[in-house]
Amino acid sequence: MKMFQAMQVSASGLTAERLRLDLIASNIANAHTTRTETGEPYRRKTAVFAAVLAEAGQAGEGVRVTAIRTDPTEPRLEYDPTHPDANEEGYVAYPNINVVQEMVDLVTAVRSYEANVTVLNAGKNMFLKALEIGRG
Amino acid sequence: MNRFLVDGTNLILQLALDAAAERQRVSAHNLANVNTPNFKRQEVSFEEKLKAALFAQPKLQLTRTHEKHLPRELELSDLQHEVVTDKSTSMRPDDNNVDIDREMVLMAMNQMHFNAVTQVLNNRYSALRYILQEGRR
Repeated sequence: MKMFQAMQVSASGLTAERLRLDLIASNIANAHTTRTETGEPYRRKTAVFAAVLAEAGQAGEGVRVTAIRTDPTEPRLEYDPTHPDANEEGYVAYPNINVVQEMVDLVTAVRSYEANVTVLNAGKNMFLKALEIGRG
Repeated sequence: MNRFLVDGTNLILQLALDAAAERQRVSAHNLANVNTPNFKRQEVSFEEKLKAALFAQPKLQLTRTHEKHLPRELELSDLQHEVVTDKSTSMRPDDNNVDIDREMVLMAMNQMHFNAVTQVLNNRYSALRYILQEGRR
């Protein structure tokens, strides 16, 4: 049914944006994590979005997160010889996270999430209106 | 087809509701992909096709009761909306062309359109009900 499909499409958008929010939260929480399981500093994570398209002439089926990418940019080096993770020269490798950029991403993710909620509610109202047909 | 309950107007209203529901789904798709790189927005084309079909209708309509009767140029019941992808524009450097403001306005318009069509259908049905009930007295 088209109306429920519209809601599922919105739900896919909500899931994708929610995942993006989770990754941003993880990035900000780990902005100073110098040690992970691999022994390296934490690396910034981003979600790769891809549209789910039906065959030509058909409405698409929403969005899907195809991968969680690890940002390959080099860690930021800071001089702090007292830090336990400092290298021989006294430099500590901090994660490649720019908090300002994360905050901007956070705002776009939240706004996109809200947009999807609005669409979901619009679809719901349309469905309820359709139930009134013939009720008089 | 039962001409009493499903006449041409009701059929058109039904098709319009279908198109509006599909338009809602396409809006959801476009807004779900507002952050997808290279995404191109979709839209539903229906009103133009309906207009063309209505103009193509002959003044005198003959009912086909046999499969070998000559078909009309375009049967209204065969009319279907169409989903097209708009590849002509770009909104952002990543080639996504979803304009969130425009999309929201289109969705609000579509919702009101859907409500209007529902209202018209309801009015028609309540007129019908009135006739049925008053005739019984």
